Amino acid sequence: MALNVRSELIRIGAEAVISKLEWNGFKLVSKHRVPKPYRRAELDRWVRDRRTLHEAKIIMSLRRLGVPCPAVVLMDRSTATLYLQLIEGSELKKALDDLPREAIESIALRLGEMVGRMHLGRVAHGDLTTSNIILDGSGNLYLIDFGLSMVTDDLEELAVDIHLLDRSLESVHHPIRGFFMKNFLKGYSMVVGREFMLKIAEKVKEIRSRGRYVEERRKRS
Amino acid sequence: MKGSEKYVLGIESTAHTFGVGVASSSGRILANIRHVYKPKEGGIHPREAAQHHSQIASKAIKEALSQAGVKPQDLDGIAFSIGPGMGPCLRVGATIARALALKLRKPLLGVNHGVAHIEIGRLSTGCVDPVVLYVAGGNTLITGYMDGRYRIFGETLDIAAGNCLDVFGIKAGIGPMPAPEECARRGERFHPLPYRVKGMDVSFSGLLTAALKMLGKIRLEDLCLSLTETVYSMLTETLERALAYTEKGEILLVGGLARSMRLREMIEEMARLHGAKVYAVPPEYAGDNGAMIAWTGVLQLLAGQELRVEESRVRPRFRIDEAEAPWREAGV
Repeated sequence: MALNVRSELIRIGAEAVISKLEWNGFKLVSKHRVPKPYRRAELDRWVRDRRTLHEAKIIMSLRRLGVPCPAVVLMDRSTATLYLQLIEGSELKKALDDLPREAIESIALRLGEMVGRMHLGRVAHGDLTTSNIILDGSGNLYLIDFGLSMVTDDLEELAVDIHLLDRSLESVHHPIRGFFMKNFLKGYSMVVGREFMLKIAEKVKEIRSRGRYVEERRKRS
Repeated sequence: MKGSEKYVLGIESTAHTFGVGVASSSGRILANIRHVYKPKEGGIHPREAAQHHSQIASKAIKEALSQAGVKPQDLDGIAFSIGPGMGPCLRVGATIARALALKLRKPLLGVNHGVAHIEIGRLSTGCVDPVVLYVAGGNTLITGYMDGRYRIFGETLDIAAGNCLDVFGIKAGIGPMPAPEECARRGERFHPLPYRVKGMDVSFSGLLTAALKMLGKIRLEDLCLSLTETVYSMLTETLERALAYTEKGEILLVGGLARSMRLREMIEEMARLHGAKVYAVPPEYAGDNGAMIAWTGVLQLLAGQELRVEESRVRPRFRIDEAEAPWREAGV
């Protein structure tokens, strides 16, 4: 750890260890990409460094695009660690259960606008499930976890975002899924335009018909 | 004379190998004959390979039956690889299997080639419920059994890992695998190449292009080292994710690339971190072979998956997750 402060472990993921810490009064989250001993040392260092840098760059471009996400406070390339602003709130996955219909409508609309702005900037999140969307106490939404994000001109990658979101709603929030997605696409359409939205929706249908991602991604979300 | 044991003859003809095997319901492999088409230069030409297969077929079947010591009329089923693979090659095996099944009045069994690689791996190593890395010249996927069939957790988004290494080896003038891996052993310096892992999926075409562009610019040994280390690390990393996600305790390596010692070493090191056991299919069953088709045919025969001749059209794009594996539910 570059920051010599007490930290509290949040999650051990497939490639990174996520912790919560406080530094000079700032509440931060650290994302440390751990070394993989099976990779050759120079390859391992290079991969972790590149991914750390890549994630930081994606976050910067999203903030420029006006997509709310945690700010990068510090990047420590020597340990492949990102220190990010801690967003205090709960995963949308958990929050959705206790919300009235009007609140869900507004969240879906605003999320659609956010994702629309992201896609207009040709950024695909790569793992857009309700676990990677945070709702704070004032009702603001934030996207997190850009480990799989990419800048791309491939419409399919953008469509995968919407597909994954839909799937994650289907598995956990079945009754509101249709209502949520209808409003999501409304918000999305307001930003990207109806024509683009229809193109993406067509791609989503195609991905769905191929039947990949269904079972496996559901369990991952 | 035969008792209650059932015998199935299996024909493999998805690509350059024409293989005939005989397996029994007690899990014995009685015969495993392989004839491999070797192109004079460059890669495999589907029509030429198919010609090779049809010329060698009757000899191979006779060899397999005599090796097994089984008479044609004692067989209980005829299995063939129905896909995925190259259309012209697949059709050779399918045509012969149909003719045999009709003539001998035996059940016809259409086997998914990928499922067969996994089942021969389970049979020969004794592992029970593994996460499977299936890597070969034409296939790269990470799969495992879940709810009735082998589900795909990750796969290549473009070319196969084996294909990437083979094409590189051929264009570099040293020949296909295992030449690039042998050359890599003399490598010293590692050069970064595109490392494309997306969740549990991998992509190798950009890596191949980049490696080919560096040909002649750095030592070939170093380039081979950089390429093989990158390919194997990508595979190991995605496999690690699948292992964490499925919470299975076993890893099984199948397909031609399972012979790679370096890949195995890397995967074993990863498995140690997770307390998982690694199994690799023995070399004689690693490449395409008829024994794996025969054995999977036995499983399908016992599960009642007989195929009607009119439904036995080959399926060049038959995905592993489209094939049902009912014997797994039954605990076989």
